Amino acid sequence: MSSTSSPASPVVDMARSIKKGSVVVAVGTKKGGFLFHSPDRKKWSVAGPFMEGGAVYHMILDPRDGRTVYASAPMGSEPWGPAIYRGRAGEEPKATQAFPKFKEGSDLSVSRIWHIEPGPSEAPDTIYAGAEPAALFRSDDRGDTWHDLGSLNYHPTRKEWQPGGGGLCLHSVLVDPRNARHLIVGISAVGAFETRDGGRSWTMENRGVRAEFLPNKYPEWGQCVHKLAWDASGDGSLFQQNHCGTYHRGPDGGEWTEVTKGLPSDFGFPIAVHPRQKHTAFVAPLVGAGNRVFPKGQMAVWKTTNRGKAWRRSTKGLPGPGAYLGVLREGMAVDEADPIGVYAGTNTGQLFASRDEGESWKMISDFLPPIFSVTTGIAQ
Amino acid sequence: MLVRIPPALRSYTDGQDEVVLETTDVAAMLRALEASFPGIRDRVVDEAGRRRPYVNVFVNEELIRASLPESKLNPGDVVHILPSVAGG
Repeated sequence: MSSTSSPASPVVDMARSIKKGSVVVAVGTKKGGFLFHSPDRKKWSVAGPFMEGGAVYHMILDPRDGRTVYASAPMGSEPWGPAIYRGRAGEEPKATQAFPKFKEGSDLSVSRIWHIEPGPSEAPDTIYAGAEPAALFRSDDRGDTWHDLGSLNYHPTRKEWQPGGGGLCLHSVLVDPRNARHLIVGISAVGAFETRDGGRSWTMENRGVRAEFLPNKYPEWGQCVHKLAWDASGDGSLFQQNHCGTYHRGPDGGEWTEVTKGLPSDFGFPIAVHPRQKHTAFVAPLVGAGNRVFPKGQMAVWKTTNRGKAWRRSTKGLPGPGAYLGVLREGMAVDEADPIGVYAGTNTGQLFASRDEGESWKMISDFLPPIFSVTTGIAQ
Repeated sequence: MLVRIPPALRSYTDGQDEVVLETTDVAAMLRALEASFPGIRDRVVDEAGRRRPYVNVFVNEELIRASLPESKLNPGDVVHILPSVAGG
């Protein structure tokens, strides 16, 4: 263990050993992955960098065992293709035996993995991977072999799919905790797809969602969904942050309701939801598609407790004015402590944390590489 | 024919830095490598058989610019698999 001496960072040491019960914040950056961990969320230690030098697009602590870390990063270094890494928290993860690939003859090839999602609690070896170009894959052996979910990946509309600014990526994978065969995924810039039969068939779920960049502003598909999240109501309700607004969808599916009113813009990337309090979510709106920084140079996180009917701005402890930065789509997360913690990682390498459900913030770490993803877990 | 394995791919070859093979083209070379070291082919070409961006294959000291799988090999050739500079 050695002390850090950053003038701005409250991280106290570089301990790789993670105490059981600690809150873990897994941070994927442009140059490696880091595990911040703390028993009390006041003093933080950091383990890493892992996969050093590689772009870690997503990194999670599997909530089903609290020990296994999965990460997505290029194999070795950039040219060798994508890889899924797996390891015990605090130790250097290793590439799994295989990575997601399209079927032979498809003429498609996976360039990177944007998102790793744990499967249902009753299938602890199952994980999903969202890929670029947009595709969903499932592994039932912790990442050593992969299944190509063909009915989505070779959807009849696929030849017309268009990429968003970040590429044609499948970035959101939601597994219904009530029914493991019910999944919803988000693809930029195609929209949301839903299956209720474990991926055999999919429906497009974009009614009510705007696409300002298309001649038809409300098409069946082609919307640029940026992030999807379950509402903690537990009835299948959803939140969505889109390129063109923020949305909520009720428990019975159907049309999305735009809930952008009260926010400073209709453009942002992440959306994080309270794990227990229904209709409660956090967003980080930016100026717009043409200027992806916080409005007026002030970083702010906005919270709703009534499914977007009203929003409340939080800036206490966040940088600005004069802070021209953003938070990427995987860059915000909440923990499950009481009160919950909220975490936001910036594309300029700062990690901020709130211990009071988003009311006030402190910087956990500065001078990280640009942050791609932030997720949380409890170490076991 | 000798295939030189770059450091990043030696996790597939149990640390071997070179492999001796007898094949007549690069496609067969990649198949032979894959048979001995499963997973290594996917690091050179993608699932559609295309050379990965920023991966270069040299035969002796000449960069293969044509279609990778169809490139011919001769006994005594030395094949280098290398990441390109990819920088500025």
